[in-house]
Amino acid sequence: MKTALRVEGLTRRFGRRWALRGIDLEVEAGSVVALLGSNGTGKTTLLRVLSTLLRPTAGTVEVLGCALPDGGAPVRERAAFMTSEGHLYEELTGRENLRFTARMHGLTVERERVSAALAEVGLEDAADTTVRAYSTGMRKRLELARIGLRPVELVLLDEPFASLDDDGVAIVQRSIAGWKGRGATVIVASHRVAQASRCANRLVRLVRGVVGEDAPS
Amino acid sequence: MTELVRRAGAILWKDLLTETRTRQGLSAMLSFAALILFLFTFAFGADAALLSRIAGGLLWVAIVFTGTLALGRSFQSEELAGGARLLRLYPGDVRAIYLGKLAGNVLLLAALELLLFPATAVLFQVELLPHAATLTLVAFLGTLGFSTIGTFFAALTVHLRARELLLPLLLFPALVPVVIGSVGATVETLAGDPFGRAGGWIRLLTAYDVILFVVCMWIFPVVLEE
Repeated sequence: MKTALRVEGLTRRFGRRWALRGIDLEVEAGSVVALLGSNGTGKTTLLRVLSTLLRPTAGTVEVLGCALPDGGAPVRERAAFMTSEGHLYEELTGRENLRFTARMHGLTVERERVSAALAEVGLEDAADTTVRAYSTGMRKRLELARIGLRPVELVLLDEPFASLDDDGVAIVQRSIAGWKGRGATVIVASHRVAQASRCANRLVRLVRGVVGEDAPS
Repeated sequence: MTELVRRAGAILWKDLLTETRTRQGLSAMLSFAALILFLFTFAFGADAALLSRIAGGLLWVAIVFTGTLALGRSFQSEELAGGARLLRLYPGDVRAIYLGKLAGNVLLLAALELLLFPATAVLFQVELLPHAATLTLVAFLGTLGFSTIGTFFAALTVHLRARELLLPLLLFPALVPVVIGSVGATVETLAGDPFGRAGGWIRLLTAYDVILFVVCMWIFPVVLEE
């Protein structure tokens, strides 16, 4: 079994508050893990550590064979992180947002590649509209298209189903299935148990910063 | 190195595109700069000799105060897009973010100065054209120094609640050599440089710019850490 990520004794503190109190987790490459738990249980903090945005306070973190935080550079090249608040520029169109992402990843900005990524999430008609005019669902889809621009080995999704209608949820689930099909590991943090567990093959529930439950879906 | 420049170019392209669509930065800067220059003109009256003597200083007062507005906005678009720290998720050297933002601030200030210098010439009755080459060099060095340290402090304070207060508090003391050098060189140049002192001010500005750039580039990666 190839391991995509291994976490041992991971803690993270913000001032006097402990967000993670000793997480132990090992995830097999190519699997889809639903990270469940109510608000404030440490899901987002865990994803931010795995994405290299946050340094752990203590513990060992190994992502795609790279020890964090020192080995963050290769992880950023091979992993993608969709935050719950999104990372889109309102004054830019959907296409321009993707072009910016492609340039920042050092990719050649081909119109076809950008158009294909937009078409995959059903945004081809809104490609040249500024993001300011996008609905919440359209923004989420554009976030998915950003990930679809390049091949990734690890996808971290923070609350991808929030504020989405049934069509939006289906698009997210289809994208997750697509990444899984291409051999990527997907971690979905959500408090929506039904929607997250439908596309996952393993459920991990966080309770007050530790793994409270770990079971196959 | 090429990747660093490419990524800095991407940041610059994105920021300029945003600015051309909103025009919020340049409009705010222009109205503020015009207000400052007009207020000074009225305050000092019609004494042509006095006006031409203080023109260099007042011009840089307008540039520094107006430029501070631009600096405050340079990382604001990132906060609206989820936070400047998310830019760390892109691979490669994070200094590309600093370089792109710095280039954007230099260009925005240069656009402002293209209007401010002629406006100063008219309002304060000074001759710019005979000294155009030296003044362009001084404007470039002053703008570069201001933007180098300003972009750094803008990134440092962007996550703070009291950033509007903290940015000028941190920035203005660090700017003293840039402002003194720019004002000194401008005043001497406008006066025809009778004592040959402009060169000394320009050397001071150049040295300070180099030091600022090296230090800011070195420390910047820590600034975006959470």
